[in-house]
Amino acid sequence: MLGSTADSLFWMFRYIERVENTLCMIESGFQLYLLSSSNLNNEWDAILRTNSIRHHFLKKNNSLDSLNIINFMLKDPKNFNNILILFDKARENARRSRVSITSEVWEAINTCWLYLNEELNKKINESKIQTIIKNTREKIALIFGFLERSMLKNEILNFCYLGTFIERFDNTVRILNTRYYLLLDEKKIRFEGYDNFQLEMILRSISSYRSFMWKNQNEIKANKVSYFLISDKDMPKSLMFCVNETIKNLRSIHKKNFPKNKSYQNALSIQKKIKQKSRNFNNHSFLDSLFKLNMTLAANIEEEFNFQ
Amino acid sequence: MTYFTKTYDEAFINENSVRTNYKKFISWYKNQDNDELTKINSDAMKFFENTGVSFKVYSSDKKENLIPFDIIPRIINSKEWDKLVRGITQRVLAINFFLTDIYGQQEIIKHGVIPVDLIQNNTAFLKQIIGFTPPNKTYNHISGIDLIKTNSDNFYVLEDNVRVPSGASYMIENRDTMIKLFPELISRYKVSENRNYAKYLSEILKKSSPKKSKINPNIVLLTPGIYNSAFFEHAFLADKLGVELVEGKDLRVINKYLNMKTINGWKRVDVIYRRIDDIFLDPLTFKEDSFLGVPGLMEVYRNKNVTIANAPGTGISDDKSIYSYIPDIIKFYLGQKPILKNVKTFKCRIKDELKYVLDNLNKLVVKEVHGSGGYGMLVGPLASKTEISKFKNKIKKNPYSYIAQPTLSLSTCPIYTKKGLTPRHVDLRCFALLAQEKVTVISGGLTRVALKKGSLVVNSSQGGGTKDTWILSS
Repeated sequence: MLGSTADSLFWMFRYIERVENTLCMIESGFQLYLLSSSNLNNEWDAILRTNSIRHHFLKKNNSLDSLNIINFMLKDPKNFNNILILFDKARENARRSRVSITSEVWEAINTCWLYLNEELNKKINESKIQTIIKNTREKIALIFGFLERSMLKNEILNFCYLGTFIERFDNTVRILNTRYYLLLDEKKIRFEGYDNFQLEMILRSISSYRSFMWKNQNEIKANKVSYFLISDKDMPKSLMFCVNETIKNLRSIHKKNFPKNKSYQNALSIQKKIKQKSRNFNNHSFLDSLFKLNMTLAANIEEEFNFQ
Repeated sequence: MTYFTKTYDEAFINENSVRTNYKKFISWYKNQDNDELTKINSDAMKFFENTGVSFKVYSSDKKENLIPFDIIPRIINSKEWDKLVRGITQRVLAINFFLTDIYGQQEIIKHGVIPVDLIQNNTAFLKQIIGFTPPNKTYNHISGIDLIKTNSDNFYVLEDNVRVPSGASYMIENRDTMIKLFPELISRYKVSENRNYAKYLSEILKKSSPKKSKINPNIVLLTPGIYNSAFFEHAFLADKLGVELVEGKDLRVINKYLNMKTINGWKRVDVIYRRIDDIFLDPLTFKEDSFLGVPGLMEVYRNKNVTIANAPGTGISDDKSIYSYIPDIIKFYLGQKPILKNVKTFKCRIKDELKYVLDNLNKLVVKEVHGSGGYGMLVGPLASKTEISKFKNKIKKNPYSYIAQPTLSLSTCPIYTKKGLTPRHVDLRCFALLAQEKVTVISGGLTRVALKKGSLVVNSSQGGGTKDTWILSS
């Protein structure tokens, strides 16, 4: 496989994953807006910071108006990480690697792109936001469905998944990093109701509230949320799950040579770090180091496989 | 039904009388529900949109356009087709002999068949490859021959496209679409297959490999990239051929061989099916600032360590001033009478002909000898007086760059509209593949149709559409 093709596959799925993650965050914020929650501003503030777009948004806007924020995140050209731009990049990479993906996957991507362009280029009113998010998430699920069902189980697929899990790790660690103070030792900070609500919002922003509650007998606690998001190997958005998948895919690409490779070694060290820290993860520098290690890992992959 | 056409129509003699080729089809058509057909027609466009079949017109924005597809097939019978196949085969072979000669001994010039200045002063003639014979002595592996029909008997050749002819993907997609839309119709008609194009293309590319063992040569398709107007086709063909789609940046010359950058390091390339023009191939030999090609590629090519298809330098033969000599070229190399006729062509480089052209611009179609895609041309009968006088000056300034042809009464075929069938002008691009002096002409080809009433311009870059082309099995 060409290095440039691996590059396109990797980035195609980073962008698709980023779209999915951004939509989940918009949805969680929008739910609060519908409930006229008093915590609305805090939430939007956290969401904008997680996406590193708070500064850009506030350049143009004086207040954290929900619909303005949603518009900004979905389609405002001033936001270089808006959904339209992100999906445009995903599709551009899909076109570049068109030969490597099946027509099912390509058509699922293309159809989603056509849908977003049609819907987001119109004026978005409040009543349509949920429909757009729901439909887009369904279309993204279709992409992953066809990816799983129609593609050969070879290195092409491995690069698609590497992009997905590197991006997902990045998203989860950003969410944790923005709100790490909520996850600090419970004895130090006690605003019971307030805390629980914000913990719930963390889970909702990655669409994992229900599964958390199911797993934890409807009891929401900071240390459990931390464990769930960082170390739970069954939870598809946890850092541990993401790094395990990354390791699996790297092994598969490298075949017998994997022990020697830098990317593989770095992925292992992330895994080890999470394992060791599992009882004492509540600090900013730990999350920050994971964030940086993941960036290094992505760079290792780009270098080792001759991306351009 | 009101169906009216001034020129030769391939389906109807008049409103009440259908030509033999179309009899079965029209009787089927008359039994169809019009609303249903309208729905199918819009489904067809949706299908193209979802699959991403697109064509980009060169413009500042990144917009992709769909080529309009018409659901009424163009039908050609096997007798007409057999003649086309013989005629195309003859032309493709003669062009290859011509190229071998012109970059070799230049016998055709010595015999005075072609004036020397036509070659020497031609920018499409690559002095860099004089004296070099390409691997397997093949230049025009892939040709796209454009034909038009003016009456019931004759197809005329309008152009021989041998630089980087495009359109094969639309030919295949059109057939796929027709089968999806009207499955029963195709089987009833016994239409011969054209979707084997990729199979034949793959075979000729393998045969063209410079490697002694031609079992598994590494073939790549070289594209200028995703912003090129024909990128869809590049990806489509690479996919069908099962080869890597590469850009210049993926390739590098290492130790006298061409290599591509893979995830496991460099891998040798044996054959390039290139979809970029000669001048962009190698910045060390041609255009210095080209980023599309590979520095040093021509050196590898000259050492016969890689095949480039079509071969560099092939463009000279589809130059519009050479076109008028193709009948002579056929006679000179094959000793045969041309089977397909050329359209009468006035060469502005010749004094008398220039005078005629300048005096009759309102009746003629004038083309730039290096132009393509319908750009840089004047359609006299449709042009305003100002346009004509502007063009006159252009020709006077540089007569060598222009040829002129009479306005031809292109045949019409029916297209589908909500109100029923209506005639539109069409042409036909046939694809021919050459390896080891054997020519394969793919059954059918791409029918291009001018969708505007009365228009003669069929180019997709200027509002033309396409149709499926049916060759009836004998």
